[in-house]
Amino acid sequence: MTNSPGSISRGTYALRQKKEHDRRCLAVLPIYYPKELLTAFDILAVELWGPPGPPCGDGAGRLQSYVCSVVRNALAFLQSGQADAMDGALFPHTCDSLQGMATLVTDFGGWSKKSFVFQHPRGSDRESAKVCVEQELRSLAGELEAWTGKPLDLKRLQWALDLHREIDACRATLLDQRARCPLNDVELYELLRRGEWLWPEEHLEELRRAVQALASSPIQKGIPIMVTGYVPEPEGILAALGNAGAYVAGDDYAAVGRRVSRSAKHLKGDPWAELVERYGSVAPCPTRNAESGMRMQYLKSLCKSSGACGVLVHVQKFCEPELFDIPDIRKTFAAIGVPVLVVEGDLEQTLSGQTETRLEAFVEMLSTAGRPS
Amino acid sequence: MMLRRLQYEMAGYAGPALLRFQEWQRLRSRKGKKSKSGAQASPFGPPLECVGKLKELMSLHYLQGRYADGAVPVAWVTSGFPIEILRPLGFHAVYPENHAAMCGVVRMVPKLSDAAEKEGYARDLCSYARSDLGCCILNTTPAGRLPKPDLLCCCTNICQTVLYWYKALAERFNVPLVLIDTPFVYGEAKPHHVAYVRSQLEELVKVAERVSGRRMDLDKLKDVVTRSKEGARLWGECLATAQAKPAPWTGIDGFFHMGPIVALRGSEECNAYYRMLRDELKDRLSRGIGGIVNEKHRLLWDNLPMWFAVRELSTLLAERGFNFACTSYTNAWAEAGIQIDPADPFGSGASSYMHIILNQDLGNRLGILTRLTRDYSCDGAVLHSDRSCKPYSVGQVDLKERLMKEMGIKVMMLESDHNDPRAWASEPGANRLTAFMESFA
Repeated sequence: MTNSPGSISRGTYALRQKKEHDRRCLAVLPIYYPKELLTAFDILAVELWGPPGPPCGDGAGRLQSYVCSVVRNALAFLQSGQADAMDGALFPHTCDSLQGMATLVTDFGGWSKKSFVFQHPRGSDRESAKVCVEQELRSLAGELEAWTGKPLDLKRLQWALDLHREIDACRATLLDQRARCPLNDVELYELLRRGEWLWPEEHLEELRRAVQALASSPIQKGIPIMVTGYVPEPEGILAALGNAGAYVAGDDYAAVGRRVSRSAKHLKGDPWAELVERYGSVAPCPTRNAESGMRMQYLKSLCKSSGACGVLVHVQKFCEPELFDIPDIRKTFAAIGVPVLVVEGDLEQTLSGQTETRLEAFVEMLSTAGRPS
Repeated sequence: MMLRRLQYEMAGYAGPALLRFQEWQRLRSRKGKKSKSGAQASPFGPPLECVGKLKELMSLHYLQGRYADGAVPVAWVTSGFPIEILRPLGFHAVYPENHAAMCGVVRMVPKLSDAAEKEGYARDLCSYARSDLGCCILNTTPAGRLPKPDLLCCCTNICQTVLYWYKALAERFNVPLVLIDTPFVYGEAKPHHVAYVRSQLEELVKVAERVSGRRMDLDKLKDVVTRSKEGARLWGECLATAQAKPAPWTGIDGFFHMGPIVALRGSEECNAYYRMLRDELKDRLSRGIGGIVNEKHRLLWDNLPMWFAVRELSTLLAERGFNFACTSYTNAWAEAGIQIDPADPFGSGASSYMHIILNQDLGNRLGILTRLTRDYSCDGAVLHSDRSCKPYSVGQVDLKERLMKEMGIKVMMLESDHNDPRAWASEPGANRLTAFMESFA
């Protein structure tokens, strides 16, 4: 796991956590999973978004080239033994390809350690879905109890819920007050994405420090834009935006801002109900059957509140849930006069010169067009 | 409303006669042309006599559909949707996948897809979805006219793509969308997953009652479920005739004859048709008539067909004595439906509709492929790596290796698309198939 801000990689960090804290480590595939439950079991979640770059090893050849590279790379990574520091893997059923990968590695090999699945229902606002989520969470908890040999301590689950609520609050503050944050996009996203693998308490510490460092008034000088997409990869896209004179003022990346729970009710005393509540309280996401009108409304309000004067739609190639929403996004923002640029990314490749030029042209156009009324 | 209802009923009564007349005219003009050009010897056996009836049945379904909106409640549904619940409420069901396949056969897809792409839908999306959305955008269809939906019904047991596709339709038509979300099955379904699907089926009844303005009659529902189960059994019987050598029909025939079990499941017309087809196939068996003239090798086809090139492919193979004796896709419609129990439509329906080939693990899929290979005495398999269908295509590389190893057969992967001819390179594809066939020598 080489996506390593600073000097330490995810794999090295996981090994250290095992040695120093006797924690089990779980590789977790995108996107949504009950991290609070893992924390309560003292399990370190290490998210596997690919990783970026060319797939390592032969495993990628087990999937056709028209399967998204997040899945192809993850399969190659697991199969090549580069995730051997992990004790198991968790496969949320995010899309057809990830679901297919979950059965591929368990039925036909590629990952010999323990596998868990988390099948979150689509349309979580339905009563039947809420009941199913809770049962799915309890079922997963039962499997984790058997795996760790430890019963779930509900007090510790409540502690984990409180911890992650504070983490979300800090992340929300940093994203919502982006203009007051002295970090550039590359630095900010390195910080936020460290949450994909750091032990939550450590992550919270660095988030608190970043929140304390917020300026009292906006200090970002560039053109504010909003980004929606799957994951900020290739990483060069953030640097390219910065070089072009823009910064990400509004974030709807599935890997980052979209997962921040902002509206969950605090249901002290009933951790299961709170877990379900938190699961349902993140921003609308197409992989979870978010109602289209609701999602567009959310994106519009994010754009407005962030002061963004343009929208960058940054999708991963072959990612159906995101791709299907593009016409709606175009229409929604055309109706309010906000320019939209659609860029297709591919985890396997670095940012192309063409994409860089398109980003520059987009930012240049925004800088001369002025802000929407 | 009264007039629409009258037109709808009239299309049902007078339609068959009209369609038979059109077919008679078509055959008459074709007969004249044949005598002028002089036909080459066909590698196929004599055509099934049922084909005429199949065309009539499906054409009638689409003909009635032209007058359905305003006359009866109309639902657009995915192929794996538990349609049994809608039938007692009088819904006319339209199957966009079936309709998209029709667009594929008549090669309309590039034009339709262009229209969808202009609206921002990527070419990497499912070509059924692009075809269907293209038809909506251009307001065109090879079926004459499609009735506007009052309800959209989507079940994720075949893929999750249908969910995104139907959401786009729901927005376009501004009608309710009912989702039956089926958790993926590893081995056996978990009880809380079955309960979840069951409760969604019960929620569906409420929505469908509201849209149709009718109350669910449980006795009628049981009748529909009984017919649906019988239909699946009959379809299975038709397919099983191809276990004989030579197979009395081809797997490619099966792709077309599956129309009624997809679009008319639960109706008496569907079952009557499959009784007729089964009897004809058994008659061909007794007389030794094959689907192709000189059957030397029998193949398994995995995944959806390439609708735009079925004739091209089947001819290439038939000319060299290769027949697709079975296909995992057509077989799917014979397997899940028989599990449903008329005495418990909701509970058994939930379980049955979860245990669809694409909603189950790859171990199960391998089991199906090996069983088909054995039961149909296949000595080879073609796995269609379908750019538009990821749930069907993920895992095929491993399936290929395992089929070769465990069954000792020759297997090839053929990359294409089920509906978009732009993803198919005809000559290189034919070369690969020819080389594959030569390896049997």
